[in-house]
Amino acid sequence: MIRKALRDPLAHFLIAGAVIWGLIALRGEPVDPADRTIVLSREEQAALALGFERTMGRPPTDAELAAQVDRWVREEILYREALRLGLDQGDPAVRRRLAAKMDELAGAEVETSSPSEEVLRQWHSANADRFGGGGEVTFEQLYFDNQTAALGASGDQEPSGMAISLPGGMDGVTIDEVSRVFGTQFVGEISQLPVSDEWQGPLPSGFGWHLVRLTKRSGVATQPFESVRDKVEADWRNGTLANRRAEAFRLLREAYSVEIE
Amino acid sequence: MMKRFGLLAAPFLLASCGMPGTGGADEAKSGDGTDTIELAEFPDRPYWGDTHLHTDVSVDAFGFGVRLGAEDALKFARGEEVIATTGTAARLDRPLDFLVIADHSDAMGATRRLYDAPRMMVRDPTLRRWRDMMHESPDQSTRAVAELITAAANDEIPEALRDPERQAKATRDLWNRHLALLDRYNDPGTFTAFAGFEWTLMPGGNNLHRVVMFRDGSAKTGEVVPYPGLDGDVSGLWDYMEAYEEKTSGKVLAIPHNSNLSNGMMFELIGPDGGPMSAEYARRRAAREPVVEVTQIKGDSETHSFLSPNDEFAGFGDAGWDLGNLPLTAKTTPDMFAGSYVRSALLRGLTLEQRLGANPYAFGLIGSTDSHTALATADEDNFFGKHTGNEPKSDRAMLPQNLGTRQGRFGWHYLASGYAAAWARGNTRAEIFDAFMRREVYATTGSRMVVRLFAGFDFSESDWEGDWVRAGYTRGVPMGGDLVDAGKAPVFLVSALKDPDGANLDRVQIVKGWLDADGTQREKVYNIAWSGREGASADALPPVGDTVDRAQASYANSIGAAELRATWTDPDYRAGQRAFYYVRVLEIPTPNWVLFDAKRFGLKLPSEVVEASVTQERAYSSPVWLRPRKTPGDAPPIMK
Repeated sequence: MIRKALRDPLAHFLIAGAVIWGLIALRGEPVDPADRTIVLSREEQAALALGFERTMGRPPTDAELAAQVDRWVREEILYREALRLGLDQGDPAVRRRLAAKMDELAGAEVETSSPSEEVLRQWHSANADRFGGGGEVTFEQLYFDNQTAALGASGDQEPSGMAISLPGGMDGVTIDEVSRVFGTQFVGEISQLPVSDEWQGPLPSGFGWHLVRLTKRSGVATQPFESVRDKVEADWRNGTLANRRAEAFRLLREAYSVEIE
Repeated sequence: MMKRFGLLAAPFLLASCGMPGTGGADEAKSGDGTDTIELAEFPDRPYWGDTHLHTDVSVDAFGFGVRLGAEDALKFARGEEVIATTGTAARLDRPLDFLVIADHSDAMGATRRLYDAPRMMVRDPTLRRWRDMMHESPDQSTRAVAELITAAANDEIPEALRDPERQAKATRDLWNRHLALLDRYNDPGTFTAFAGFEWTLMPGGNNLHRVVMFRDGSAKTGEVVPYPGLDGDVSGLWDYMEAYEEKTSGKVLAIPHNSNLSNGMMFELIGPDGGPMSAEYARRRAAREPVVEVTQIKGDSETHSFLSPNDEFAGFGDAGWDLGNLPLTAKTTPDMFAGSYVRSALLRGLTLEQRLGANPYAFGLIGSTDSHTALATADEDNFFGKHTGNEPKSDRAMLPQNLGTRQGRFGWHYLASGYAAAWARGNTRAEIFDAFMRREVYATTGSRMVVRLFAGFDFSESDWEGDWVRAGYTRGVPMGGDLVDAGKAPVFLVSALKDPDGANLDRVQIVKGWLDADGTQREKVYNIAWSGREGASADALPPVGDTVDRAQASYANSIGAAELRATWTDPDYRAGQRAFYYVRVLEIPTPNWVLFDAKRFGLKLPSEVVEASVTQERAYSSPVWLRPRKTPGDAPPIMK
């Protein structure tokens, strides 16, 4: 009897209605007319004016501020009505936006704090590789237009490559300079290579394949703190932000169990 | 009253600039770079740059919405990340080696000042309306600028915006700050920041624009201010350039561009007054304008299919642009094409030289962006558009883009093009400028191919085995050079190396133009090297193939070659012939920015747009000219 009643669509509707009602009541959404009152405080108006000034490089005129306020009010009304209709549910943009806000919350303190000189100096020395020319390399290379030929030659005592208008080597140049001539793929490969008097490889590049004799890789030439202070601060901010977000997420994540079916 | 109280007056100008100048501290940075770095024996690498970039002091760029200035532009060009006006982080995959910021000299900074001016101070009704539109919304702002450009084209700019005397005064302070900024960013050996401006002559909407580029630092360039163009004629510009050189012993050159939007006026056979061209005009033009910009965002000007019906690769980047002049206030008719495209101009140059003894159109070729976003982007997968209104967003490919009218130019007609490559011995103002003067430069549509061209009479296949670059420089001339007829066919050493991070090469071609014995202009395209296709003949070379996945905006380097080389002897040489030869290199087909947009934003594009968006990126070298023995050469001197 009860089972039969439960199959009735009307029962579904009633139950669903009760659940929704319950949920709304639980979340304490006010249903009194106060909900339809919008207050824009002095502080919030100042924030609007500041936003305008940041974009335009000057404060708004009274008329412009009034237009900003009108726009804000319109948005607020539509926003509240959208929430009332549950339009925030199942919307990937909203989901992403709220997730991003959580990330921002985690990093908010870092955004605004100004690190001390000491903190920055420590950061500079701990991440020295990011504040230099990237180090210098000296190498010779032989070119092959296919991997098989390159592999074949790699066993030779005195291998010889194929003709191409690339330098047979570079002497004491920065990684950037290597990248400009040989491309990013080659640079990715040669950066992994140990220094040796032997021919190594073949390494792939945008051109084909290369046997490489990497004879020197100089230590990273770090620019002195004073000359890159701004860069260090920006880098500290980015780096610290990323760490904080990762840490905050780790804490939240531990409270969840996730099953991927 | 309005005249007295110009909105261009200095107080607003001061308010509109945030950056105090601090130049002149470092001699190496503020000069032309001579003796600051060690130079190679011969030009040993191409230096990559953009000579045509607009920032927020360009009257149109600001109105289109850009809020990035010269400093952002410099940072971006040298490889740093900046936030584009529309809020996206922007960074070049690979930095550029040099940059010419070329803001419009007419009313430089004026839209910004107009925008910033209190409304009650703007008395001119048209200007007041434009000011209101700029404040209203980005769309209205764009519309205001479209009106402004149309007004400029129709010679109806309000008095307050065009008075050169007042404008010069207002510009002075802005220019000085700008020069100091350039000096700070100029770093011999690493990055070169050139002073320049765009001179915007546009009679009846026909584009006769030039970019003006200085060799010198602020000590000399501070002696002048940018020269306005709306009211002038080109001899006025050359007078200005000559006066600058006399006054400062510095150097300056001008680069015509968008000849494709000139309705035949950029490369005329007659003089600017409608009478026959004078030898004096031809000589001055050759001396002042050693290079032209052949490819950029608003289309490619190499040649039109109407002019080169036998060239299967003609017409690249012409669609939409060949409908009319810049604001589309006048349609283009086929009789105008010959004066609008570069290959026909090179041919006309031969004819004029035969007649006058001087060749006004013996120019080298470069590409540049003409971006109005302060971002010099020419990569297909990283294209920030023509102006701020079409920075990356989902609908930009299909929006009408014809300055307020609707006559058939759309977002997808824009090219993510191009860059200038300069063969120089080092990265300084002097070295790169001098490469432009001797035309040892080439154009690409954005890809960084390495293209060498040497011409002489005794080159042979065996030169490739030795130091062929040295052979090229010592026994011949590089691109941009002149050969004097030696009674035998010229021989060319040509090498094209692919962009290390780009697509493989399909083929290398020589484009030859010459005059027949009876003076008839002739042109022919020769395939001189190609990938694979064993046994194919140069005259019937099949297409290289197509690996482009349209939906994924990807391609595979499974076809094409990493490098193509050829030793080529002209089979159609006749003794005493006047001719030019330039190299065109084609990459294999690749997806252009429209397909990257389609993938990024999940767009459904019409099939003709998809097909038009698979293109073969290309390089155009500067020509080498072959001249009869007895004619004195009038072109700029070539490097010894």
